[in-house]
Amino acid sequence: MFGPAHGHAIVKAIESNSEDVLQVEQGSLYPALHRLIKRGWISAEEGLSENNRQAKYYRLTARGRKQLQVETAKWEKLARAIACILKPAGEEARQ
Amino acid sequence: MRRRRPLDSLDDDIRDHIERETRDNIERGMPPEEARHAALRKFGNITRVKEDTREVWRRVWLEQLLQDMRYGFRMLRRNPGFAAVVILTLALGIGMNTAVFSVVNAVLLRPLTCPHPERLVWIGDYDPNIKRDAVELADFCYWREHARSYTGMAAYGPQQGAMVTAKDAEQVSGVAIAGDFWSLTGARPALGRLFGPREQDTVVIAWDLFEREFAADEHAIGESVAVDGRSVTITGVLPKNFRFQFPMWWQSVEPRPVEAYFPLPAKDIAMGRTGTAVASLKAGVRAARAMAELDMLEKRAQEGRSPHFRGPATGLRIEPLADQLTGAARPALLVLLAAGAFVLLIAVLNIANALLARATVRRREIAIRAAVGAGRTRVVRQLLVESVVLALIGGAAALALARSALAILIRLSPNAIPRLQETSIDGVVLAFTLAVSIGTGILFGSGPALALWRSNLYDALKDGARTSTGAAGIGLRGSLVAGELALAIVLLIGAGLMLKSFWRMHAHPPGFAPENILTMEIPLSGAQYLEKPAQEAYIRELLRRVEAAPGVEAAGVSTWFLFEGVPFPSDTSPNQQHVIRLNAVSPGYLKALGIRLLKGRWLGEMDSGGNAVLLNESMARQAFGAVDPISRQISTTGKAIVVDVVTNLKYSQLDADPPAEIYMPYRQAPFLPGASVAVRTAGDALAMAPAIRKLISGIDPTQPVFNVKSLEQALSDSIAPRRFNLFLLGTFGAAALMLALVGTYGVIAYSVAERTREIGVRMALGAQRHEVVRMVVRDGMAMALAGMAAGLACAWGLTHLIASLLYDVKANDPATFAAVAASLTAIAMLACWVPALQAARVDPMVALRYE
Repeated sequence: MFGPAHGHAIVKAIESNSEDVLQVEQGSLYPALHRLIKRGWISAEEGLSENNRQAKYYRLTARGRKQLQVETAKWEKLARAIACILKPAGEEARQ
Repeated sequence: MRRRRPLDSLDDDIRDHIERETRDNIERGMPPEEARHAALRKFGNITRVKEDTREVWRRVWLEQLLQDMRYGFRMLRRNPGFAAVVILTLALGIGMNTAVFSVVNAVLLRPLTCPHPERLVWIGDYDPNIKRDAVELADFCYWREHARSYTGMAAYGPQQGAMVTAKDAEQVSGVAIAGDFWSLTGARPALGRLFGPREQDTVVIAWDLFEREFAADEHAIGESVAVDGRSVTITGVLPKNFRFQFPMWWQSVEPRPVEAYFPLPAKDIAMGRTGTAVASLKAGVRAARAMAELDMLEKRAQEGRSPHFRGPATGLRIEPLADQLTGAARPALLVLLAAGAFVLLIAVLNIANALLARATVRRREIAIRAAVGAGRTRVVRQLLVESVVLALIGGAAALALARSALAILIRLSPNAIPRLQETSIDGVVLAFTLAVSIGTGILFGSGPALALWRSNLYDALKDGARTSTGAAGIGLRGSLVAGELALAIVLLIGAGLMLKSFWRMHAHPPGFAPENILTMEIPLSGAQYLEKPAQEAYIRELLRRVEAAPGVEAAGVSTWFLFEGVPFPSDTSPNQQHVIRLNAVSPGYLKALGIRLLKGRWLGEMDSGGNAVLLNESMARQAFGAVDPISRQISTTGKAIVVDVVTNLKYSQLDADPPAEIYMPYRQAPFLPGASVAVRTAGDALAMAPAIRKLISGIDPTQPVFNVKSLEQALSDSIAPRRFNLFLLGTFGAAALMLALVGTYGVIAYSVAERTREIGVRMALGAQRHEVVRMVVRDGMAMALAGMAAGLACAWGLTHLIASLLYDVKANDPATFAAVAASLTAIAMLACWVPALQAARVDPMVALRYE
């Protein structure tokens, strides 16, 4: 999933991997991608697509991979915390 | 360039993305056309995506700012009339503030032009007899010798002198100095040298005097000139830019700038002369410590010496020199700053109103910009930038306006405020104007921006050409106008109170015509006038020549002294002593001024050998109470008999009650150190000034004739600071009135235009024209009166702040309040009436078809 991918593929991956929960305006991907490039977390390279056309491929850089781990850990911690808060409340509500 | 590379293929990237999505959609079974639309819809606003992506890479803030400014300029060019009105209003509002701030900057903020101005202190001891600070110079010498807290101490006092040069005789305005005056003021000679502490009979002259009397000839240095009959050596010349601020009360003694610096004569110190003392504190020494030391030294000085000329200093105090010199001007300047802010606020409200009206017109344009992808913040910021651009242009125009206003102010009343002539537009003033301009722009721009923020832009598109803001918009603009009128009325009441003070000051008794009275002074100095017979002979000759001149109705001379230790017959306890103002006059002097006899008889020439005196009303009341003073005794220089009482007359200071005075024949005076001449002329006094001046100079060319003025000029000069304040506050009031009038008119006219349909309907249903007029005027006046009532309440609470600037008028003078309220009501009425008449001319048929 973290290999080189062009914009459309990334959007599709987000949509399908989130079981279609995250349906964003597809265009808003591009400012986000460029912000990541600016921070040096992904890089863009020209490549030929399957139908032999010029297309831009985005790939994670080493720094991006490290940042991804940091952000993932952060997110998981937060999600776990929220889950812990919500879970007892949910059980009480069911009673 | 490298950083831009990711953007290069953005368009391709997006196109590629949409094609892929379209293909996916077709694969899912959509017809091609629909598939493409679905892909586009899902992608969102392409322009905005591109812009947002580009923004990631750019220094967006600056770039958008420049873009907004360019757009702002374009909008201004498209509406040149509107832009011109706004810029003019701003130039007026900001310009007034810039001008006042430049004065505040020069007078209150900028440090004095000396080395270590922050360490300079004033050493004062209030003398109730002369109503100002003075220290005895003998004390000063003792302090200077023993004090350890100071790097230096200087004393000085005004010292005029008749300087006779090869060119002519001139009464020079000078200062006698002692101690470390040169080092404290940081003076450096431009030519020659500055005299040392022990040198006497020398003079250092200012560059202007050097040019005027000595033609800037270097050979003058080291030469001797006669000053008051003594020969003094010119040791040096000060540079043109040398400035030291002397106390403001000097202006009343000698309004001309100081041009000669004499060493303080040693015998003056021994004789108990008083002067003004300044000192420079050592670094790190606090004023309190320096004060304690000074008190201790003064006590020791008293033990060593007795008896005293002036009695021990009792209220000795130290304060920063800058505060002492400019403190008196502070309240007036702060009032003017506030008044300037008021005018600017009114201007801001006016412009905000106009922009609000225009914002409704521009709603469609803005809605379209939002529809094609401009974010709401972006549009609001754009509006603010447009306003700030306007304000900056206005600020630039304001600078030009302030420059010329300052030039006029300084020319009109150079001596109204200390250091006024140092006023200039420097970096601080520029920064102030820039900040005020930007603040102003944001202030008047935020009104329309806020209105836009709250409004629903899609309605504007659906609404078509209809641009009504509805009742809410009119209500908002109405309250802005009410605010304007409230501010204006506060200003106008301030200006009105000052105008009334001015009028009270000029309330002269009937028959007093100061424009027909010429006054001048002659010092009677030099070896030939040391004895009284010579002085008397000169004055007799002067009176003979002047009285005989054509066009002269009456002429007289006077010279006055303060005389201490006089008991009054009305004193309740013995040993009471008073200081009196003793005025030695020739018989014609009182007649020339127009002072009238109340009871008794005029002093005549026959009284010259006797001991008859005259009292003015104040003196009669003080010395005798309710008792009729005629033929009673009063002690002056000797025992004297009161022969008459004359009216009080303000002939020297307009903003003070006339001093209590005793007049005596000049021949009874112990000596005549000079003469003030008063001449009543048949016509305009100034027209005769050159002839009379020449006549007097002809008696003895070594005696300079100076301060030649009509009494009208002299009186006017006596209230120069007040005139300055009145002039500025009056201008502010007039500007406020004009702006408020325009603002009121604008809002009413706009609301009438908006209500054309409604008015048409009313008229179609049978409303009469005068009813329409009444309706419009009633609505407008309701708003105006609400604002004015609020303003009157504010003024009632605020006017006590200017109480110190008023004369003989209470801060809550009901007559002024009523007069201002009535005239502003009339003016507001006019501003409502004109658009109301236009409303009445509406043709119902046209109005109903309208839009």
